Amino acid sequence: MTWLFHNLSYVGELTWLHLLQSVLPVIIGTVVSIPVARFAAVRRSRGAEGAGGASRARAGKARRGTVVNAAALLYTIPSLALFVLLPLVLGTAITSLTNVIIALSLYVIAMMVRSCVDAFESVDAAVLDAATAVGYRPARRFWAVELPLSVPVMAAGLRVALVSNISMVSVGAVIGIQSLGTLFTDGLRRDFTTEIIVGIVLIALIAVVLDRLVALAAAVATRWQVRS
Amino acid sequence: MPLGKTDAIEFIGVSKEFESSTAVENLDLAIPDGLITVFVGPSGCGKTTSLRMINRMVEPTRGRILIQGEDNKDTPAHELRRSMGYVMQESGLMPHRTVADNIATVPRLNGVSKRDGRSRALELMDTVGLDRGLAKRYPAQLSGGQAQRVGVARALAADSPVLLMDEPFSAVDPVVRADLQRELIRLHETLERTIVFVTHDIDEAVTLGQRVAVFAEGGRVAQFGSPEEILREPADDFVASFVGHDRGTRRLTFASAGEVPIRPLDAEDRPWGDWRLALDDAGRPAGWSIDDRTMVGGSLFPQGGSLRDALDSVLSSPSGWGVAVDDDGRALGLLSSDDVMDAAARERKSRYGVGL
Ligand SMILES: Nc1ncnc2c1ncn2[C@@H]1O[C@H](COP(=O)(O)OP(=O)(O)OP(=O)(O)O)[C@@H](O)[C@H]1O
Ligand SMILES: [Mg+2]
Repeated sequence: MTWLFHNLSYVGELTWLHLLQSVLPVIIGTVVSIPVARFAAVRRSRGAEGAGGASRARAGKARRGTVVNAAALLYTIPSLALFVLLPLVLGTAITSLTNVIIALSLYVIAMMVRSCVDAFESVDAAVLDAATAVGYRPARRFWAVELPLSVPVMAAGLRVALVSNISMVSVGAVIGIQSLGTLFTDGLRRDFTTEIIVGIVLIALIAVVLDRLVALAAAVATRWQVRS
Repeated sequence: MPLGKTDAIEFIGVSKEFESSTAVENLDLAIPDGLITVFVGPSGCGKTTSLRMINRMVEPTRGRILIQGEDNKDTPAHELRRSMGYVMQESGLMPHRTVADNIATVPRLNGVSKRDGRSRALELMDTVGLDRGLAKRYPAQLSGGQAQRVGVARALAADSPVLLMDEPFSAVDPVVRADLQRELIRLHETLERTIVFVTHDIDEAVTLGQRVAVFAEGGRVAQFGSPEEILREPADDFVASFVGHDRGTRRLTFASAGEVPIRPLDAEDRPWGDWRLALDDAGRPAGWSIDDRTMVGGSLFPQGGSLRDALDSVLSSPSGWGVAVDDDGRALGLLSSDDVMDAAARERKSRYGVGL
């Protein structure tokens, strides 16, 4: 405890860095995943397709498979390897914040694309059809109908991605990227348990608080759902 | 402009082919202005496809569709759709929007302010008989019947001359359905819109339709005419079998029972013998009694009703005498089964112009 009080500003700064690396990649990853998933999601909508409907449905399935599998493959790359390899592609320093944030965003994309595809496919085709039938144009229909209706499934995926990203941030500490994970590497090196425990508690705290925030926001955005 | 004299919607040689099937084949049909036209037919015969070609939710493979004389391809699809109300089977409401917001959808799409849209929605809730207290509910919190009313209100909000309805009442129970049907007829009388209504229920078709198009397999119209014509003279065996075995009594729906004499309750000769009709304090019928037994009465014949009502009142009455009532439900007198049968026979002869 005394250690914590003496190092409050240091721990505070690490917490801030950790928060930044927790939140930014999730936002970036989600924003990228949504259009990718929307492009890949397959939906059988009635009446819209004329001749050529079946071949178009086949093409849709192939596209979905490619995108979902590519995302899954992305996830299998070990995080350390990605942290080290990415600078070779981007030309950034290994320990730069940009590097970490891009690497973590890729992981979020790997997780969120699948969730977002599921989310878009969970939207009732009849409702979208009705929206078109009353006169929505495609763009407005997307923002005003399709996206809000995909929130329940999307939010569930977002919470998983967020929490796993928060723990993934610590890995960066191994190659010298500052975050609460630094408390682990430092504590291990000095064989100083208190530091490690402070790190664990704070990361858990961040995870719980952010997860609750997202859950709360999702609950507000999905008031229309019947809850049993 | 006299109703029904001009064509609101005209199909000209319209076909729709899907990859594996022909849904509609060379359809020519003129839907009169201001009337309720019903598309009826067995499942899969192209009713929905035909309806959806009107608002371009389905594009025809061949042929043209004119709306008030103009090709519907000349208007951008979204504008065309906003200019026609559309009600579908599962109401098609936006689950994430409140009742009021759902009703105001089209005005809002057309740029009406949130406030004006909302007040318009509340008015329409009155029009379709929805309690204004439901305005803030979400669709998942409504009964099926309420949801359908919201669907109708949303379609009316477009202030469009044309309403398209695809089996809007098929998912609700028979009592609510009858209610919604009556309401639709009432709405149609006050609003004078052209309504195209799809159903596979012949009873619903003859109840609502002023014109009925009977669809056969492959989107062919087997017969188009007034409900009476279709019940009286089915164009072919397909229509005859589709309108069903009880079309004899159903046809009496269109015959007035005006000629059936109503015997006064205090008739001297008491042709009903020992049967006594009980009346409550307001003079409404309250069952029959004979000897020491009392029985629940049959269906009542409303003054000015159809021959079908008259026949049913006779057949369902324990005494064999139908009870005629006025608008307030007070007993006016009794109908004899012989008189009703005679009237039915006269009606038949005059329709076919033979015998007498
Ligand atoms: N989008 C589509 N793709 C392929 N075939 C279709 C499509 N929509 C309809 N069909 C086919 O066209 C035919 C007519 O369908 P439609 O939905 O118009 O029938 P319906 O008369 O409305 O039937 P129901 O009473 O069951 O609603 C059917 O054989 C159906 O399988
Ligand atoms: Mg149909």
